[in-house]
Amino acid sequence: MTTDAVGIAGAVRERRLSARDAVEEALTRIAARDRELNCFTAVLGESARRDAAAVDARIAAGEDPGPLAGAPFAVKNLFDVAGLTTLAGSRINADRPPATRDAAPVAALRRAGAVLVGALNMDEYAFGFTTENTHYGPTRNPRDPERVAGGSSGGSGAAVAAGLVPLALGSDTNGSIRVPASLCGVFGLKPTYGRISRRGTALFAGSFDHVGPLARSTRDLAAALDAMQGPDPADPVASRRAASPTRGEVSRGIAGLRVAVAGEHFARGGEPEVFAAVAEVARALDARGTVSLPEPQRARAAAMVITAAEGGQLHLPDLRARPNDFDPMTRDRFLAGALLPAGVYLAAQRFRSWYRARVREIFERVDVLLAPTTPYTAPRIGQDRILVGGVEVLARGTLGLYTQPLSFIGLPVISVPVHRAGRLPLGVQLVGAPFRESTLLRVAAFLEERGVIAAPIA
Amino acid sequence: MSAMDPAAAAEYAERAAAAIGLPLDPARVPAVAQQLAGLLAAAALVLDFPLPEDVEPAPVFEP
Repeated sequence: MTTDAVGIAGAVRERRLSARDAVEEALTRIAARDRELNCFTAVLGESARRDAAAVDARIAAGEDPGPLAGAPFAVKNLFDVAGLTTLAGSRINADRPPATRDAAPVAALRRAGAVLVGALNMDEYAFGFTTENTHYGPTRNPRDPERVAGGSSGGSGAAVAAGLVPLALGSDTNGSIRVPASLCGVFGLKPTYGRISRRGTALFAGSFDHVGPLARSTRDLAAALDAMQGPDPADPVASRRAASPTRGEVSRGIAGLRVAVAGEHFARGGEPEVFAAVAEVARALDARGTVSLPEPQRARAAAMVITAAEGGQLHLPDLRARPNDFDPMTRDRFLAGALLPAGVYLAAQRFRSWYRARVREIFERVDVLLAPTTPYTAPRIGQDRILVGGVEVLARGTLGLYTQPLSFIGLPVISVPVHRAGRLPLGVQLVGAPFRESTLLRVAAFLEERGVIAAPIA
Repeated sequence: MSAMDPAAAAEYAERAAAAIGLPLDPARVPAVAQQLAGLLAAAALVLDFPLPEDVEPAPVFEP
């Protein structure tokens, strides 16, 4: 797909392109590239062609086919898709019957006219940052196939970066949308906790589980968010706030916005090029101030504790009955999480409330914070350790250094792609106050228009 | 709190697993104990931070 989802939908709505041709092009690209990249765990050619024909029929009948008419999309395989077994990256769940209905976000995109073409690879039960899945194989980074795509929504990041689909859905508990967006060089939106319903998606750590889009343009993130946002009684953490469309806000510019760079924790522990990317974005936005978040390393630690405890408890029945069927990449971490004492979990949840109150105060003075997304570019597949500023760290877990203290309190974040000639891509996080996605989209659109960020097809 | 040594982490892992009826393959204990020691080190960072008594978790539960 050489254009973005909104571009395809515009062409389809104006009858310059049929939905069938748009979907056929995506299927052709998938057939040509996915044997190498391993993004997809299921390609839904037959139903995608049928759905595309239905979009074309609606247009022929003079009906409104929706704002994403004919745009192909794919979803991380933890989203329920009617007729497909929801794997959540596991072999265990492959024994389950097919889902009987679509997850809420999948249904929402379909109502907007988008056409689902397949399900995408991920770390088992979303517990990872690299999509080195032992059961289904690693997803390869289209910008260097010897490297990881990031995770846990690695299939989503790689499929969008390679132009197999213009739009994909992922989930983000500790960075699982933002990390692959950074390493693959695409846009990723982790919305405010509760803004998009998670009904029909496999949970990992419910306290932090979010779903959101990955795409190659700001306007696609806005269109996808607008299609999916809003209250849903079927998701216990869904916000009751009425949907508030962002699409019209995107092109408003950045006049009056207070932008600052996150300091200290977010200004160390990464490669110099990571901070250079943040500085480049800050320069373009004329952001001069620096803001320090309180105790971000404790926030990250608390996020790890809550994630492991909730994930371990969720999977305890299978950890008891069939531990050998877990991916060796996740099994010991789930087991350890299941064994944590209750008190540390509660302490982490109480700390979360304290930290939220302090960070709210910061957003009374600032509209947008800038921070790196990942501390380095994509590691090699199979790489256990990596040198950062001469210090050896764990290559996989450290990828969440800058993302975990933010999803911990559900702040909306867009990871925007900074491309440097001849170098692997890197993301910069645009962080906003709760429910202020429109502000972040305005900043992303401004940077995109200035050519500071871009997501070319790999 | 300082980091748990491997033997203490292994002992805790085995006893905690027994307490919740989670069979733990002896061959797997050292790796699980290592993960657990890492989590408990993270937990110590949180436990060491004094919080006012009126700070409550924010669960979503509506009767």
